[in-house]
Amino acid sequence: MADDAVAVVEDPDSRYRQIMDAITDYAVIGLDAASAVRSWHAGAEQLTQYPAEEITGRSVAVFYPAEDAARGLPETDLRAGAAAGRHETTGWLVRRDGTQFWASVVFTAVRDRAGKVNGYVMTARDLTRWREQELTLRSVEQMVDSIADFEVFRFGPDGRVRSWNQGAQRLTGYTPDEVIGQHVSMFYTEEDVRAGLLEREMTAAARDGSLEGEGWRLRKDGTRFWANVVLSPIRDDQGELTGYVKVARDLTERREQDRLVRQQRDEILELSTPVIQVWDRVLILPLIGTLDSGRAARLTESLLHRIAADQAEVVILDISGVPSIDTGVAQHLLETVAAARLMGTVSILSGVRPDTAQSIVHLGIELGSLRSRTSLKDALQLALGLVEARSGAGNGAGARA
Amino acid sequence: MRMGPDLLVTLQGDLDDLTVESIERQVTSEIARTGAHGALIDVSSLDVVDSFVARVLARLVRMVRLLGADAAIVGIRPAVAITLVELGVSMADVTTALNAEQGMTRLRRLRAGTSAGIRHDDPQ
Amino acid sequence: MTTLSEGPPASLLAAATVTIGGEDALLQVRSTVRAYARHAGLDLTATTKVVTAGSELTRNILRHSTAGQGAASIEEVVSGPRTGVRAVFTDRGPGIADLDQAMRNGFSTAGSLGLGLPGSRRLVDEFSIDSAPGLGTRVVICQWNR
Repeated sequence: MADDAVAVVEDPDSRYRQIMDAITDYAVIGLDAASAVRSWHAGAEQLTQYPAEEITGRSVAVFYPAEDAARGLPETDLRAGAAAGRHETTGWLVRRDGTQFWASVVFTAVRDRAGKVNGYVMTARDLTRWREQELTLRSVEQMVDSIADFEVFRFGPDGRVRSWNQGAQRLTGYTPDEVIGQHVSMFYTEEDVRAGLLEREMTAAARDGSLEGEGWRLRKDGTRFWANVVLSPIRDDQGELTGYVKVARDLTERREQDRLVRQQRDEILELSTPVIQVWDRVLILPLIGTLDSGRAARLTESLLHRIAADQAEVVILDISGVPSIDTGVAQHLLETVAAARLMGTVSILSGVRPDTAQSIVHLGIELGSLRSRTSLKDALQLALGLVEARSGAGNGAGARA
Repeated sequence: MRMGPDLLVTLQGDLDDLTVESIERQVTSEIARTGAHGALIDVSSLDVVDSFVARVLARLVRMVRLLGADAAIVGIRPAVAITLVELGVSMADVTTALNAEQGMTRLRRLRAGTSAGIRHDDPQ
Repeated sequence: MTTLSEGPPASLLAAATVTIGGEDALLQVRSTVRAYARHAGLDLTATTKVVTAGSELTRNILRHSTAGQGAASIEEVVSGPRTGVRAVFTDRGPGIADLDQAMRNGFSTAGSLGLGLPGSRRLVDEFSIDSAPGLGTRVVICQWNR
């Protein structure tokens, strides 16, 4: 390219410039010999987000990711452009806001009449979308095959197996040779085959776009496993059904595991919120941490069972360990109190801090006849007084532990 | 069945309209006849108290009170208590207790309290 | 996406049907729902709630539809790691003209307090109702173990 070509590019009134501004999905960037930005246009701004005034004079390295700039990639690219006249490459570029995009970049050296490089033209095009599609296409089969925990296979509208992955082999014990070309009903139990389950699944999947279900499937050794299955139809461009894809996994083990996990969790929860019998007929339930509905339900249950077991008359709900009272927590508390009352037990709220009192009033929460105290000591005193009063005169029920 | 000065009414099994009617008749006539001061309605054998049963209880309590006696519902089971709260049945103005003995004590205190001028609407 | 729950594992209970014709249906529905709930591993509270809901719905059918036109179908269900009990209450009674009103608290016909429908909904994890005048009513409830 000649000197005047570059001059033409910079002349705002030239037709060339007008054409350049009209190109918006390419960036055509003029760089000087020191690789600083010399000319800019709308397309470059759209691609990189830099307005002309901000970028002019800055090094081309600003478009490169930090690691690449650090290892001298900009210089390498430009040198290649100078050496070969034209250098095409693909790589990551960085926008003004720091986001990266995959780009196709061409560096063309601009020489003066003496043949010396006095600048470069860098064109860049955003390839992000193309890159994603390519990756997807190339690696789908690889990914599917590497999935070992899920059975993934395809079968035709005729029910014959067309593909088989590692997971399917692991789950059923069948090798690809043993199943490809065979009918899918070989994995179904006799009862299910007779009941026409497979046909119903295929019809439903074709009709609704997808089907999820659970059922027994058979392994090579004849044993059964309980599977969670997703069946999807495969259609060609015309929308014709060309087959099905089935993804399945063995649920048997997981259900056992989940049950054990739930059991452990319940046991831990039990241990972490003990109901304490502090006096004859007086129970304390220290509430610690947050109260979601699941936890609140379990706490209420254990409290009520303790009330029945210990014949408690008063229960102190200590909330000093609850970080904040919102309407949800208050709701759970009031429900617990109401249920305890139905069993004849009076509740006292203790550990009410000044900010708690403020929150409760500000939130408009009505505690009704629920008594509350700041300290556990005060609550206990009140509790003992109530028990004494309730035991009534002449009943002799004042027995203390 | 008497428990001291109180009448013990035990609700059990399936409560259909006929049974309920019969219970109501028995309770009201017994209170009138014996002059019992209180009725203890024992529901400890009920593992389900739906809104129908809750209504039966509410009506029994009203009848008892109209006859000048006090009523207490005793023996509501934990799971039933939770269910009732969820159903929105509060029974807030009724005396409750874990069992008949506790119920008796409560009613006695209620009577003593009433005579001492303490308000009736705070049964606990 | 359709969900098709096919053939329960050998350890799940098969479905049971109770005809709702007279007062004896109450006991049958309650004990069947209870048995299934227990088998599904529901705790006491969850069991009591679903049994109570079943009782409410059964009473509703007894009260509002003519004799012998109702039924309850109870089964154990599985979804992933959870097991639960599902009960379907159907009747060929008069149907409900205004479902919204019926599902609001306090609605009452025939002198009942009307806690039946909205109350049952509060007690269970899943609740659905279909009803139209002349076509009867269908209520499906489902309660899962935790």
